[in-house]
Amino acid sequence: MSENLHTRAQKLLSGAMVEGISAADQIWLDMHLAECTDCARDAEVTRELLGALRSIPVDVPLDLAARTQLRVRLRAQQAEKDSSSSALLWIITAASWLLGIFSAPLVWRVFTWIGQRTNLPKPVLELGFVLWWAVPALIAVAVVLHQRAASSRA
Amino acid sequence: MSAQAFTFTAARSPLLFAGHMTEDTQLLAAALRRRDPDVLDRLIEQYQQRLYRYLLFLTGNAALAEDLFQETWVRVLERGHQYNAKNKFESWLFTIARNLVIDVSRRKKIASLEDMGAPDSEQSYDPPDHRSLSALQMLVVRENEKAVQLSLLKIAPYYREVLLLRFHEELPLEEIASVLAAPISTVKSRLYRGLEALKSALPAGAV
Repeated sequence: MSENLHTRAQKLLSGAMVEGISAADQIWLDMHLAECTDCARDAEVTRELLGALRSIPVDVPLDLAARTQLRVRLRAQQAEKDSSSSALLWIITAASWLLGIFSAPLVWRVFTWIGQRTNLPKPVLELGFVLWWAVPALIAVAVVLHQRAASSRA
Repeated sequence: MSAQAFTFTAARSPLLFAGHMTEDTQLLAAALRRRDPDVLDRLIEQYQQRLYRYLLFLTGNAALAEDLFQETWVRVLERGHQYNAKNKFESWLFTIARNLVIDVSRRKKIASLEDMGAPDSEQSYDPPDHRSLSALQMLVVRENEKAVQLSLLKIAPYYREVLLLRFHEELPLEEIASVLAAPISTVKSRLYRGLEALKSALPAGAV
């Protein structure tokens, strides 16, 4: 029997396991296996191998599911807490933003008055005005980043 | 929907048929978006065997498999809103688990799962006893399983992975491709080569 026939049989054997083969190929393979003891032995080994592969038992640690369920529930509670504190932060931020917009003219008047009393140059007053608004926002960003880092570590 | 409601509709429960029916996977997706802890509890119980087995054979390390098992479910909780009801839940679950294994391999300064070497033989696990079989049957079965198990741990992880997904988890080729984020042709090629590698790794006379 030519080597090509055995090679074809090997390919069809693997093909049958991996993705299936056509009915015609299956008939040809069955006929070949009936005649060729080497290929029939190889087919048997492959079948037994896959059977053993399918049946390898694995014992899941008894409390693994319970421990996982507990951890997932704790994480869910933490996420819910983070979510509500995050919502509160957004509300405070929005309120602060609106207050900032409406109070800006008044604050600028205060800065102008301080400038008149202290004779500070206008760029210094403008810088002070910018910092007046920027520093609280920068602190808020730092707090949020710190909280996120802490929760990801947890 | 609460877990009770899922129990009530047990015949079509997404916990029993997760991934098999679009309507059920939609219910499951909605529960995951709500981070329903009762639904997650049941999913953990339902998939514990398959997920742990997958992680154990992929990593070859029982302690690491336990850690990754827990981490996978935490990710399911956190990223539940990303689950697409058009896909099977188990494919999504295995994808998350696989990505975690890759993350671990990267932390060990290994570029990818493809480069992850054979696990330390000291850390491999022993299969449990088969108490329902006769002593002789048990011996033969255990020897065969041990041989296949050891051979499986000897072959490259990317072959081991597809063999497990195809022949142990019995996932269709399309779903394996989805888990691996690779074309079906790559999956087939790895399956063919993996089978050959597994046969070659078997000791003479085994199986």
